[in-house]
Amino acid sequence: MENNGQKIIVTENVKKDYKEDDIVVRAVRGIDLTIKAGEFTAIVGPSGSGKTTFLNVISGLDMATDGKVWLHERLLSEMNEKELSDFRRDHIGFIFQAYNLIPVLTVEENIEYIMLLQGVPKKERHRRVIDILKEIGMEGMEKRYPPKISGGQQQRVAIARAMVSQPELILADEPTANLDQATGAELLGLMRELNRKTGMTFLFSTHDRMVMERADRVIRLKDGKVEKDERKSQH
Amino acid sequence: MWFDMKLAWRNIFRNKRRTFIAGIAIGVGLAAMLFTDALMIGMKDNMIRSATKSFLGEGQIHRKGFRLTPDVEKTINNLDGIISNLKQEEAVERFTPRTVTFGMITSPANVSSVMVYGIQPSSEKFLSQIDDVLKEGNYFKGDGERNIVIGSDLAELLEVGIGDRTVITATQAESGNLVQEMFRVSGIYHFNVKEMDTGMAFVRLSKAQEMLGIGNDVHEIAIKFKDIHFAAKKDNPFWSKYSVHGNEAVSWTTLLPQLHAMLGIFWISLLVMGIILFGIVAFGIVNTLFMSLYERMFEFGVIRAVGTRPSGIRRLILLEAGALSLLSIVLGILLGSIITLIFVKVGIDYRGIEIAGTSFHEMLYPVIHIQQYIIYPIAVFAFTLLIGLYPALVASKMSISEALRKSL
Repeated sequence: MENNGQKIIVTENVKKDYKEDDIVVRAVRGIDLTIKAGEFTAIVGPSGSGKTTFLNVISGLDMATDGKVWLHERLLSEMNEKELSDFRRDHIGFIFQAYNLIPVLTVEENIEYIMLLQGVPKKERHRRVIDILKEIGMEGMEKRYPPKISGGQQQRVAIARAMVSQPELILADEPTANLDQATGAELLGLMRELNRKTGMTFLFSTHDRMVMERADRVIRLKDGKVEKDERKSQH
Repeated sequence: MWFDMKLAWRNIFRNKRRTFIAGIAIGVGLAAMLFTDALMIGMKDNMIRSATKSFLGEGQIHRKGFRLTPDVEKTINNLDGIISNLKQEEAVERFTPRTVTFGMITSPANVSSVMVYGIQPSSEKFLSQIDDVLKEGNYFKGDGERNIVIGSDLAELLEVGIGDRTVITATQAESGNLVQEMFRVSGIYHFNVKEMDTGMAFVRLSKAQEMLGIGNDVHEIAIKFKDIHFAAKKDNPFWSKYSVHGNEAVSWTTLLPQLHAMLGIFWISLLVMGIILFGIVAFGIVNTLFMSLYERMFEFGVIRAVGTRPSGIRRLILLEAGALSLLSIVLGILLGSIITLIFVKVGIDYRGIEIAGTSFHEMLYPVIHIQQYIIYPIAVFAFTLLIGLYPALVASKMSISEALRKSL
């Protein structure tokens, strides 16, 4: 996949309110943003700044209260639930903080889950699983169950699952939050390497200073608005 | 689909103890249904046997109108033709002719009204159980023409014992004259059914025919079939075949409407019990599935986030309900079979207990039918899937972002 600078995400005055105990919380208060293909971007900010909510809105996990979100030139608000599911399946890879994996499925089954939803044939699935496990340094562990591997290895499997179907965008919500510093750094290095190798777009929400340091672009949110949008030179 | 089935099967074993408890609860419900159904069939057969074997027979032939007003002259028409036909009937195991009349029985101590039956002891013993429940004397042994067999309560009322004299007063056919005949008590029976122990007296057929002046005619032919269910079959042509020449042939369902109605209520009570048990099963399933659902909210959020459609979530929950149901069905069949087989072997002692005018004379044994092991498990499976729809719908409609917030 080539980094051709194509716009992957475009948001226009995106707002998101939600109710908590009958109180309306204005989590996102009008964000205009463009993320281009191949970017390695971190959205940072203190707790309650709207990072996760914004990530949910731009991935179609939640609908914006106001404003527009284009993902791959498709307006999310025009899609129904089924179309959104299919769109996420085919275009977005997700990595969450923890408990990412289905504990009753083996490493291989967890990784092939999305390919199963896509209807990829068994042989092809197996080939891709073996390839990606090699890529993330976990070859030979395909029959293990998540509870039997370390937290760092679980996050590697989550990365593999997110990337194996070759989506254009990887959304990672605090992916290093539950890991020790060394494991976090190792995983971040892996993602950076995969970003360079495949040209996939990575968008993180994070508190982690290490992620901010390694990102090409750091978008700082405060009270649901973009406070600062800082681009760095390529590493 | 195969992958979903595998996932569902593994999911239900994530919390083995909970699954086992839920499985046992549903299984016990199914086992109870299997046992109750088998018991009901056994009880139904037993009640029919008890009611028909004691004296009635599974069917009877009379002159039309005799059942309503049992006049002495209303004897069966074309008796020889009927007897000849009955002998050739494949379905008929035995039959016996009887005379039936109201009479007065008198002893030196007391007097009572009774139904006096003239019977043929040789064939009667296959149709009724009078000979089986004799508590004193004998059942028309020897040639004694004036022997009479009466019930224990009647003997007590008349203050008579074996060998004592009684006098029967009855009305003769045609003339309407009263006739009196002396009989000696040769046997006393005890059925444990009040009407039979107080209100019936049995004499030889030939003596009764002579006393009533009806020649060789009879008032009633009682029939026993090879299959106990034959008589109750709907639209059975047997009854219309013999309801000719001014006669009327009816099954026990007509002769004992109260028993027939009672058996109908049996099935209603089984239905009510089924509804209650299925209600318990429903709560078990819904509770288990919801507990499992709320425990895995974040996981469902992840599954939905990565592209599983709402229908995929519904399918997964329904497959889990199905897997739980299959497990429960296996447990239920095992448990139900063991309990039923134990009682099939040892029986339940209801002897002497009277229900709907029918006294049980035999041990009660549950009856296993293959349909029980098809219908009830299928019903539990279908019901589980139906009930599983509710948590499946809830899971498929949940907000992904809220689910992702749940356990973190």
